[in-house]
Amino acid sequence: MGSKENVKTARNRLILARIRHRLRAMFPGHSTGSAIEATNLVKTYREGSPAAVRALDGLSIAVRQGEIFGLLGPNGAGKTTLLRVLTTLTLPTSGSATVLGLDVRAHPLEVRRRICAVLQENAVEVYLSVADNLDTYARFHAVPRLEVRRRIEMTLERFGLSEYRSQKVIDLSGGLKRRVQVAKVFMVDSPLVFLDEATTGMDPMNRRATLQAFREEARRGRTIFLTTHVLQEAEELCNTFAIIDHGRCIAQGDLAMIRGLSSRAFDITVTFDTMTDGLLEELRRLPLLKMEVHATTVTLCVKGREMSALAILTSLARTHTITHFEVTSATLEDVFLELLGNRQPEGQTS
Amino acid sequence: MILAVMYREYRIRRTSMTWLFYDLVMPLTYLLLFGIGFDRTFMGGIPVGGTTVSYNAFFLAGVLSMACFGIAINTSYGFFVDRDNGIFYEFLTYPMSRAEFLVGKILFNALLSLLQALITVTLGSVLLDIPLRWDLAVFAVGGVVLGTAGWFFFLSAFALRIRRNDMFNTFINVAYFLLMFGSSMFYPLDALPGWLRTVAMANPLTWHTDALRWATIGIGDPAVIAAEAALFLLFLLASFLFAVDTLRRGVLR
Repeated sequence: MGSKENVKTARNRLILARIRHRLRAMFPGHSTGSAIEATNLVKTYREGSPAAVRALDGLSIAVRQGEIFGLLGPNGAGKTTLLRVLTTLTLPTSGSATVLGLDVRAHPLEVRRRICAVLQENAVEVYLSVADNLDTYARFHAVPRLEVRRRIEMTLERFGLSEYRSQKVIDLSGGLKRRVQVAKVFMVDSPLVFLDEATTGMDPMNRRATLQAFREEARRGRTIFLTTHVLQEAEELCNTFAIIDHGRCIAQGDLAMIRGLSSRAFDITVTFDTMTDGLLEELRRLPLLKMEVHATTVTLCVKGREMSALAILTSLARTHTITHFEVTSATLEDVFLELLGNRQPEGQTS
Repeated sequence: MILAVMYREYRIRRTSMTWLFYDLVMPLTYLLLFGIGFDRTFMGGIPVGGTTVSYNAFFLAGVLSMACFGIAINTSYGFFVDRDNGIFYEFLTYPMSRAEFLVGKILFNALLSLLQALITVTLGSVLLDIPLRWDLAVFAVGGVVLGTAGWFFFLSAFALRIRRNDMFNTFINVAYFLLMFGSSMFYPLDALPGWLRTVAMANPLTWHTDALRWATIGIGDPAVIAAEAALFLLFLLASFLFAVDTLRRGVLR
């Protein structure tokens, strides 16, 4: 009996070891917990020429495995260049970058075996049908043939593309083309997904469905690296963020941390039963960044900590009748705009 | 992974049978129209390497090397089509080496070259009575495949560096004109003035055409042909390494 148990235990151990081995193969570097590490990354385009552009200027970021990471920044900040370096499309001028523990310069092929990317451009095979686009993508990523068919059906269904399956992509609208492009990454199991402005051109319903699909992928353990201009989208989706500008990282952390960088932390919207001149005078004396009045409702932008918002509300409630109030903290967009100041928009190539 | 690239090329080609048809029969058409005209002009044949052959027989190898060059142009021009469709950079993030990407891309198109050559050689010999050396067919197959690959790698290195397709078109036009008329494609080199003969002898298109001429109708000194074939292989290898390096260093500089 005892020896039977031992055999069983040994077999179980063997199975567990095999599972661990497979998981390690699928998600290498998992044990380190780090999906991406960039240190002092510099990328200069047309180096040595008078038209040289320093797109990355000593940028350092770290992304943990399994998180949805949002890379934010204005046009020309270096987002796309960073993505190009991390996806091995271009070599960094100096500094180091590792993806799932692999150096992008020394092991580009190994890196590519573990990633998939939705780039900014509409990258689809326009002469092929929607289903053939998914099929060829799966073949490139070595998905077993029998599995390909099942995944095509699943992905078409998931992205509402079933009715277009036989249509050539060239005949589809821009939004549908984008959907096909994004759908491709769901055909494969690469542990790290890069998304550059992935939902651009999608209608709100598909955008929402796509974001939900990304969330599910992250729950499955995939790391998602996202760049977007839609800060609300990033706020909804991402666990951590980095804000970059002029090729440098100016802030990195989770939403609370990023919000904490804002000097204006709260918006208080208060509705009074009546609005009097005395009340207005009292409100104007408060240490506010901004005040907006609409009939009996005022919106106050308060600098400082949570307590200062509470103190203002308490003092107003003592002397006036408040019928409704709402306190909201600074949005990611507020922090973004504040950190980047009022600098002029740029159209520099990144 | 090479098979995946070939499969993709096949799927794209399959979407336009008209395009495929013209690609396959164009060299034969060239031989029938252009070749026949010159064949009638040189009724007594033309002297090559101590013997006299019909112009059609002489020109067959020229048409084959022209067809290889044409397929190579189309395939390298495909980089611009892929760029316009946005898929080019995405490709470069796929789990394959740069060499696999280039080799897969040309292997399928080299098969097309072979099919093209088979149609041209078979129908050419039947319709124009060209005396073929079937015993050397294996060398002809090698010449077509390696020739297509060599020109593709050579042109790729430029297609990947030149960003504008109109500039690439100009480059192709100039390169093709110089390479074609400075080679043994249309006429034997013996008749050329010394300086032009020297230039033509240093032209990879001459090496390729001479090798194909030997492999199809058996004309040429085997020792010279072997040297030319070796030079062409070096040219192919250098072009391949150059193209791979261009992709490896990053096409986005």
